[in-house]
Amino acid sequence: MPEAALPSEENQAKDARQHAAVRKAVVIGGNRIPFARSGGAYTRSSNQDMLTAALDGLIARFGLQGERIGEVAAGAVLKHSRDFNLTREAVLGSALAPETPAYDLQQACATGLETVLGLSNKIKLGQIDSAVAGGVDSASDAPIAVSEGLREVLLDLNRAKTLPARLKVLSRLRPKDIAPDAPGTGEPRTGLSMGEHQALTTAQWKISREAQDELAYNSHRNLAAAYDRGFFDDLVTPYRGLNRDSNLRPDTSMEKLATLKPVFGRNLGTEATMTAGNSTPLTDGAATVLLGTEEWADERGLPKLAVVVDGEAAAVDFVHGKDGLLMAPAFAVPRLLARNGLTLEDIDFFEIHEAFAGTVLSTLAAWEDEEFGRERLGLEGAFGSIDRSKLNVNGSSLAAGHPFAATGGRIVASLAKMLHERGSVDGRPARGLISICAAGGQGVVAILEAYTTAEGAQA
Amino acid sequence: MTGGLEGSSGETVLLPEAPALSMLYLNAAATAARRRFSGTRPDGALPAARHELRDVTADVDKLTAFQHLLGESAGDHLPAGFIHALAFPVAMSVLNRDDFPLPLLGMIHLENHVEQYRAVHFSEAMAITAWVENLRGHRAGSLVDLVAEVRGNDGSLLWRGVSAYLAKGFFLPGVDKNGGRSGRDDALFSPPDPTAVWNLGVETGRNYAGVSGDFNPIHLSVLSAKALGLKRSIAHGMYLASRALAEVGPVRSDAFSWDVNFEAPVFLPARVALEINTARGESGQWSRSDFTGWNPRSGRRHFTGTVAALP
Repeated sequence: MPEAALPSEENQAKDARQHAAVRKAVVIGGNRIPFARSGGAYTRSSNQDMLTAALDGLIARFGLQGERIGEVAAGAVLKHSRDFNLTREAVLGSALAPETPAYDLQQACATGLETVLGLSNKIKLGQIDSAVAGGVDSASDAPIAVSEGLREVLLDLNRAKTLPARLKVLSRLRPKDIAPDAPGTGEPRTGLSMGEHQALTTAQWKISREAQDELAYNSHRNLAAAYDRGFFDDLVTPYRGLNRDSNLRPDTSMEKLATLKPVFGRNLGTEATMTAGNSTPLTDGAATVLLGTEEWADERGLPKLAVVVDGEAAAVDFVHGKDGLLMAPAFAVPRLLARNGLTLEDIDFFEIHEAFAGTVLSTLAAWEDEEFGRERLGLEGAFGSIDRSKLNVNGSSLAAGHPFAATGGRIVASLAKMLHERGSVDGRPARGLISICAAGGQGVVAILEAYTTAEGAQA
Repeated sequence: MTGGLEGSSGETVLLPEAPALSMLYLNAAATAARRRFSGTRPDGALPAARHELRDVTADVDKLTAFQHLLGESAGDHLPAGFIHALAFPVAMSVLNRDDFPLPLLGMIHLENHVEQYRAVHFSEAMAITAWVENLRGHRAGSLVDLVAEVRGNDGSLLWRGVSAYLAKGFFLPGVDKNGGRSGRDDALFSPPDPTAVWNLGVETGRNYAGVSGDFNPIHLSVLSAKALGLKRSIAHGMYLASRALAEVGPVRSDAFSWDVNFEAPVFLPARVALEINTARGESGQWSRSDFTGWNPRSGRRHFTGTVAALP
């Protein structure tokens, strides 16, 4: 049974009728702070600090001071237990009305995109008229936990009533219990780091070192060009002295990238190809997206850049090696496009998150593979290939960096602006596809369209 | 150390660098000892000189530490209390002048009035000017206003603070001790329902000294406070005022006034009950927030204050 059980034509028609009955969820704009390599400009800034900074920039840009927003949702992947109400605390520290409700969401690197989809659904259903989606992560200010031994002793100590009982509990403490547990990047079930998992997939799909370096090079070149032409002027607010993403290397070259030594997959049977240059670094940053109904935007004279059309989540069985850890979008995208009656040819912008260059290239290779298409996707043959000139045209995570939960908001806001700039293509709204892989073998993907008026003219 | 800073009347003394507060406190102790030994007492005139420090910029790590300790959002703009801390060494250097007639050590910060005219980005260079004025009598001693003004590179006034200090039991010749205010409202204080409670550990004074640079011994430890005649260390008044300002929150917008009157000192460790009461204008816009802090056990009031929109 193929994983990507595609809906029948009959179901698609029913879906279309249901879609017509709901309201549009419009992307009004976004704001993020520049992303900083960990240990850099945001070393002392907490997740709450950065999320509040991104939120305050959004509020200033769209005049939302004192406004009660329908709901704010955001999250962080590396999260302190004290930050259980991270998003609500950021709202309270911002200039939004304190009556604005908020919730936290956590879906690894898909967190940011999932907040956009969840809030868009609430808008479409008429539950809220406005929303702020977002995400934040700090690899610099990461939580450190006490060891299991110390944690158990401390909890029992708290429960012990008498001095002798407390002393007895304390006597269980061993020197090794004092060492803290640093956060790991390994998958709990496999013990492999994300990079080692991807190295397996990269080797499986026979992705060359040169192809990965080329993707990284294009990411830096495209992001630098986007900054140079002012594309990010209304998407980014400086923070702590940073005006651009600090990982961006405008002067990098294929030659420089080729000199880097492989860091992942060095003990596989094949040549190791993944370097620090074609993998994303640990990064700090935050991103937010303003969503609303058409009416809500119009009442405030705010722009309507794009419409959130649909989204899909998928997961793969990476634990026993059936699929690569980061390959879930390879299944989610075919399902999402089929449900919307679309193919890869109908997409004008592909935003495929560059966790590693190998992730993007493995996904594309799977889609181009006849056997994968037939046996795993249940199609007649290969799913298809994409026009590379439409891929990550303003750069992506290899250049910008990847503060895990912030990446979804970065991509949605940038893509919405790109779609708005493009307007219509062949008489239909310009269309963009977002694909984000996540830890745990998950992936979330979405379709956005340029917002156009009913007549087809660009709004 | 103030030997080179003896500006004559009305002169502005340019400080070459931010004075180290630890040296100022040491010098103050030396001056106190010298005056006691020689029996000299200065006349009642305040020095007219103004002390100025130019090209002051905030250290961003210190800014973040200040924001975290006081509960402010760690944005790129300087909390009003952080600007007070930047201006504080310049202000203290005026009190440390040989011709300042009151003893710096043991002076009590009674009132603070600040006006912040716009948001100040951490990268902005500022010029800080400080002077003393308005020496007047108080039933318990002599009161003096310490004024600090912070200007931007274009000369525009960004921030202005007036701190009233009491030299307890120090009556200057020629200053009417019954003049001025005869003390605060001593009517029985009946505590309202608190909107928040602060649990302040003994380290509160040391922590605030770390982010503000104000290492006055009365705040640092039981021993150092005892040396200056207090039973225990006390919280910095500006710590309490800055925390109350942070709790008023972003509703205060970028320009506001911030007043606080200090009453019973907060001996550490302490629980302080807080009430914040917000008033809005006819169209619903924020106009002011009044705050009160008190000891929830004894009911003694520690401070009252107001954050208000500038007219």
